[in-house]
Parts: sequence; structure tokens; C-alpha cells
Amino acid sequence: MIGLQILNGLVYGSLLMIVASGLVLIYGLRRVVNFAHGSLFMLGAYIAYAAAQQFGFWVGLVAAVSVLAAVGFCLDRFGFRLLQDRDPLTVMLVTFGLLLVFEDVVQSVWGKQSYSLAAPESLAGTVELFGSPFPVYRLVIVAAGLAVAAALVGWLRHSRVGLFIRGASTDPVTTAMQGVNTDRLSGGVVAVGAALAGLAGVVSGPFLSLSPTMGSDILIDSFVVVVIGGLGSFAGAFVAAMILGQVQALGAVYLPDLAALLPFALMTAVLVWRPSGLSGSRT
Amino acid sequence: MSATLTAPALDGAQVKRASRLPRLLSLTSVAVAVGLAVSMLVESNTVMSLLTQAVIYAVFALGLGFLLKQNGMVSFGHALFFGLSGYLVGVGASLTGSVGTVVVLTIAGIGFFAFALALVIVRVPGIAFGMLTLAIGQSFYVLVSKSRGVTGGADGMSIEFPPRVFGLEIGAFQDPASMFLISWLALVALVLALSLLLGTRFGPLTEAIRENEERVRFIGFRTLLPRAVVFAISAMVTAVGGALSALYTGFVSPESLHWSVSGTVLIMVVLGGSRTLWGPAVGAVVYYLFRDYVGEHTTHWMGIFGVSLIAVIVLWPAGIAGGVMHAVERIKRGSGRHA
Repeated sequence: MIGLQILNGLVYGSLLMIVASGLVLIYGLRRVVNFAHGSLFMLGAYIAYAAAQQFGFWVGLVAAVSVLAAVGFCLDRFGFRLLQDRDPLTVMLVTFGLLLVFEDVVQSVWGKQSYSLAAPESLAGTVELFGSPFPVYRLVIVAAGLAVAAALVGWLRHSRVGLFIRGASTDPVTTAMQGVNTDRLSGGVVAVGAALAGLAGVVSGPFLSLSPTMGSDILIDSFVVVVIGGLGSFAGAFVAAMILGQVQALGAVYLPDLAALLPFALMTAVLVWRPSGLSGSRT
Repeated sequence: MSATLTAPALDGAQVKRASRLPRLLSLTSVAVAVGLAVSMLVESNTVMSLLTQAVIYAVFALGLGFLLKQNGMVSFGHALFFGLSGYLVGVGASLTGSVGTVVVLTIAGIGFFAFALALVIVRVPGIAFGMLTLAIGQSFYVLVSKSRGVTGGADGMSIEFPPRVFGLEIGAFQDPASMFLISWLALVALVLALSLLLGTRFGPLTEAIRENEERVRFIGFRTLLPRAVVFAISAMVTAVGGALSALYTGFVSPESLHWSVSGTVLIMVVLGGSRTLWGPAVGAVVYYLFRDYVGEHTTHWMGIFGVSLIAVIVLWPAGIAGGVMHAVERIKRGSGRHA
């Protein structure tokens, strides 16, 4: 029983990690807390749903990720880039405005009812784990989370672009002076961040259900992850996502009345203890 | 020597303070007159109830804007003080008949609670502060939704008020026409009180802390206490809004504590402009009128509002109040040139 709960926590933690790593990427380059990130997640899920109706899950996945990457690029090119000298609060509220726009778009196209995206047939079965059947698809989510984490670490640590990104998120001005085109870099990075949100949305489709509120639900949880981990820190976000996944899954079983409270209690405790989060390097 | 050097400066300050008070008082009487005129001229009950709601949220926005103006901090959890105040008034009214006392105690209690909370949380820097307030606010939202016994849970709570509150018939609080005037007077009184407060040393001190806390510490001031006091005052003003709302509707629901309420009011603050005290209040009224107008014509109210919000923020960074102040400055300069 507890083994299964830990596994479920791992599944949700992996999802949160994918979403939160997008938030961290965008925050790193543009110092923007992106309130529209949850809507990007939701948009990804709905686009995949629409495409999957016609062409199946995998086409839906590719379509959603590519559309979201394009949305992310435009968001940077026509949004964050033009607003980079403005007060962070201003940009934050612009993303809040975008959240409203995206939610309105989703509600007008798909209505308020909830949908479910079917898992691809090859992944639809169950396996016997800890003496009870467990959907294979949930294990795939964990694998996807691990793959994203590994890919990000490889990209950021071992490639030239990764070096530039790490440079630009530590000190954009100095990095630009060394000859790195930080505006172009940011365009790409925000595109990747948005694509990751879309990916998480698609992957979560068969696990959670699609509804116009799915965006704000995951947004709050991923904010909690990013803030607990320390804004701008990947390692912190990974650890925090896993902790939060476990807290959610175990809390739902052992403290059902307070489960919804636990993430916030955890965040408050961590911030009071270490005001800049677990990794504690940046604010 | 030093006395002669400081004397002109002191005189200047005294002259400024002396000229401030009559100006404030005349502006206050104009505001009161405007409120009276509106309540007499507007006959439609729907418009009146819209305006009443707008003014109640203007009080909320005044509180949130005060925090941003004097502290530079953005709270995403102020709905906590708004909703909690409503619940405390509701629970208090069910226990005792003297609602006036309950309201006063509620606002004072929330002030103390916010002050204690602030001593811990204002140390958290920048954006993390916003997220922390969001988390604290959401925790209370969850707690209130779950404690069915006291609060009625997710269904909300109807409040049974005694027939007389603050020496007035309870009907006066629940009729839009009279409640508009009551809320308006409360709003004007709060703006006046806060302006008077900012006219003392507290105003410049907190603004200096907002600009550069470290330098203010170097000069020899303690900075934690003033920041916590700003947070507590902001929470108390917000609590006044929550109490007015509870009196007006006779109902509180957990939705009033949800973070999206804090987000909406933050939009009102930025829309109105947080560089003046009255800007956020104007933002709240504009928000309600705009929502009502757009809502009548289309179901895409959210999207249209999102786009307009982005446009206003990008094109008009100082908000409506900033635009008005700018225009006033230009008119003043223009007439000065003529004379």
C-alpha cells in the first residue's frame, strides 16, 4: 500500500519537475515569474487532445510541443524582450493578463466540461507491483521526468549553449559583453520552457483530467516547488518536486483532511527557515 | 551656527505641514460631497449595488496599495485578511449581539495577527515574499473550506445580524443606496487617516526603507519594525473592507480567501497606480465599471480584460492615477506660464 503511494508521489513529482524546470529556465534568463506557465501546460494538453482525436496520441504530443515552443518564442520576442527594462512586478502582471487570455481561449474553444486524453495503446496496460495492478502509463510519466531531467542536465552542463545559458542566468550583462547574443538565447530558452510546460500537459492528459482549471492547479504547485527549491535553481527544483510529490501522495492517504494544506505549510516552513529556498543561492 | 543653518529647513517643513492640512481637509470635503451627490443622483438599484461593491473593494485595494507604495512589497495573499475579517465578524455576530464591538475587535485582532506574521515574513526578499504570502493565504483558504463546523465549509456562511449595528438599522448596511454612502465615507476616512500618517516622519522613513533598506540601517534606523507596521496597517485596512463586505451581503464564502481574489485586487492596484494612496481605489471602481460594461456585451470578458490589462500596464506604467497626476502637473505648469 505505502509502496504504491510512494510510486504515485513519484509520478506527480515527475510531472511537477517538468513544469517547474520550464519555470526555472524562464526565470533564469528573463527574471520573470511566469504566471501564464500553468496556462501553457493546459494549452499543451488541449492541443494534444484535439490532435489525438484525429491522428492519435503521438502526433498530438509532437503537435502540442511544437505549438507551445512557437508560443514560447513569440512570448519572449514580443513580450519579455520588449519589457526587459521594466519593473519585475509589471512583467509578472503581464503574464497574469496572458493567463486570463489563454483561459478564455480554452474555455471558448473547448467549453467548461472536462475531457480525458487516452493513453497510447502500447502503454495502456497494467503491471503487477507490490501485489496490486499499477498502470504502465504512470511508470512512463516517471521515465519521461527522468529523461527530461537527464536531457536538461546534459544540455546545460555539457554543451556550449548550456554554458551560455548558465552564464546569462548568473549575469546577463557580462555574458552579453563576452559576445553572446542573450536576446536570441532567451528566445530559445523561453521556447524550451514553454515546450516543457506543453510536454507536461500532454503527458499528464491520461493521468489527470483536462479542465479549464488544470492550469491554475498545477501553477500553484509548481510555484511552491520553485520557491522551495530556490528561485532559479534546477537542483533545488528537482528535489522540491520530488518532496512535494511525496507529500501530496502520502498526505492524501494519511492526512486526507489536511492534504491540500501540506504544500503551503511546507513552503512556509522552508522559507521561514531559509528565506531563499533550499538551494539558497539567489533571490 | 548650526541652529541658523537648520532654521530655514525647519520653517520649510512647518510651512509645508501647515499648508497640507487645509488642502487635505478641503479635498476630503469634496470627496464627501461627491459621495453624497452620487448617492442622491443615482436612482437605479443595480448601478448602486455595483458601485457599493466597487467601493468595498476600493477599501481592499487601498490596503494592498498602501503596502506596495510604502514597502515596495507585493502580496498575493491579502485576500486572507479580507476573508478572515468577514468570517470573524460572522462568527462573532453569532456569539454576541453587539456587532460594533465585534467589528472593532476583528480589525484590531487582524492588525496584531498581521504584525506578528510580518515580523517573520518581511525578511523574505522580493518575489519569494509574494509566493510566501500566496502560500499562507492558500493555507487559510484550505483550512476555512475544511472546517465545516465553524465556517460552513465550501458552502459559505450566512450571518445573522442583530437588528441594530453601530446604532444603525441593519437594513441600512444591506441596502445599496445607504451602504454605498457608509462604505464611501469609510474609504474617504481611511484615505485621510493614511495621508495624515504619511505626513508624519513615518511616511518618509518607510519610503526610504522601500528605496534602500541597507542605507536606512546605516543612518541608524531600525527597519524591521516600520516594515511590519506598514504590513499590519495594510492588513487592517483590508480587514475593514472584509467587514464592510460581510455587513453588506450578510454572507461569507471561502472564495473570498482564494488567491485569485488577491490577484484581482492587485490588478486593481496596478491599474489605478500605486504611487498615490487613492490610485488603487480608482482602479477598483474602474475595474467594476469595465467588467460590468464588457460583461453585458460579450461572454469573453476574461480575455478582453486580459488584453486591456496588458495594454494598460505596458502603455501606462504609472496607472490611471499616474496619468491624472501627470495631466495635473502639466495644467499647473501651463497656467503658471500664463501668470
